[in-house]
Amino acid sequence: MAQFFPKSANNVAKITMILGVVLAVTAFYAYTQLARSSYLTGRYVEKQQPVQFSHKHHTGDDGIDCRYCHTTVETTASAGMPSTETCMTCHSQIWSDSPYLEPVRASYRDNTPIEWERVHDLPEYTYFNHSIHIAKGIGCSTCHGEIDNMPSVYQENTLQMEWCLSCHREPEKFIRPKSEIYNMRWKDSDLSTEARVQLKQEYKIRSRDMLTSCSVCHR
Amino acid sequence: MLKNNPASPRRTIFLVGLFVMAIVASGCGVRFDMQDQPRYKAYKKSDFFADGRASRDMVEGTVARGLLKEDKAFYTGKIDNPDPNAQAQSSTDASGNTVVTSFPNAIDEFPIPVTKELIDRGEERYKINCIVCHGPVGAGDGMIVRRGFVRPPSYHDDRLRNAPVGHFFDVISNGWGRMTGQKAMIPVADRWAIVAYIRTLQASQNPEQIMRMNSGAQPAATVTPAPAASPAGRPNGGAN
Repeated sequence: MAQFFPKSANNVAKITMILGVVLAVTAFYAYTQLARSSYLTGRYVEKQQPVQFSHKHHTGDDGIDCRYCHTTVETTASAGMPSTETCMTCHSQIWSDSPYLEPVRASYRDNTPIEWERVHDLPEYTYFNHSIHIAKGIGCSTCHGEIDNMPSVYQENTLQMEWCLSCHREPEKFIRPKSEIYNMRWKDSDLSTEARVQLKQEYKIRSRDMLTSCSVCHR
Repeated sequence: MLKNNPASPRRTIFLVGLFVMAIVASGCGVRFDMQDQPRYKAYKKSDFFADGRASRDMVEGTVARGLLKEDKAFYTGKIDNPDPNAQAQSSTDASGNTVVTSFPNAIDEFPIPVTKELIDRGEERYKINCIVCHGPVGAGDGMIVRRGFVRPPSYHDDRLRNAPVGHFFDVISNGWGRMTGQKAMIPVADRWAIVAYIRTLQASQNPEQIMRMNSGAQPAATVTPAPAASPAGRPNGGAN
């Protein structure tokens, strides 16, 4: 009986097996990279806002504190968005005839809210609270980046669970003194490792097991 | 045998299989039901309310438990039975602006104990909410003023040095001149903390007052003129 497969079929079979493994690994790697890409996470993507508001101008150039507008960041889950009245404390007087600010004036005139695009949009199966992070020594720029250098605000980090956990597992790597919370230039290296571990104890940050418990964020 | 017999078992199996696959596939698509749940989080848009706001205003007259605001001095900075007909005295300054020189109905004593913690808190809040216009020492030379906002009066003239604390509280709450009221942004206790810090600033720019406080003596009749802590010669006003 004649051989059905030629001898070269052995090589084809081997190459096919190796290629299959290579392809599978490549595909998995590509998937992990795609899942972390800005295309899927929205990282680094600037959003078109109804008003061309610049954080760089207001905080970087003018030195207005974060909490002037985000008034509830120390006390509630939401950092708080400024009301149109807050904009108008200054812009009723300065730049009061700028066409860029017409949406603000229209909002004030008609008593309708300005519809900002949410930049940091956490999935709603997660619970996030700004105030507890502030109270435990996590600064704005740790998560949001140097906002005062962003003419148009974008998401600095992926906001994926692995990113949240990277800090919840080792908060002592990112903690800073409470006096530096709003310092946009703070670097984690500004404080020695030992000092940060000590801060973690001082601020009574819970254990890694507690912080990575499911119900801390999914409740 | 007819081809494409509608009743052929093979075709039935195919159709049923397609149907099952369609159901399975419809559940496999990209869905965001958990991502965007049918509940409101802060500032989420609402399709239910006409103005689209999920965050609603409180019904007028709502009193939260424990917040009846009976303590009039604490919540308004006014005396208990203010005289509605009380007229504030005013004068006209060199540049023709009307300047109010008396503050009837405003309380003259802090309604809460003034502690170092209160002043520290006031300093922090002052640097958030006030420094942008009033400047680091309250001379009215904040960054927004340098950008063209109308220059606020300095805290360090006799008029404001002698103004009762209730007046400062009232201005923070309800505004004054070009300044809008800040009561939506600054909680009541923080407003008092800021007033305490303003008093501290005034003392800091007025050594005589510090000496008087240290010696526990009665206030002297004369008050030193306000030192120019800001770039001098800036006109009262500025580009709109």
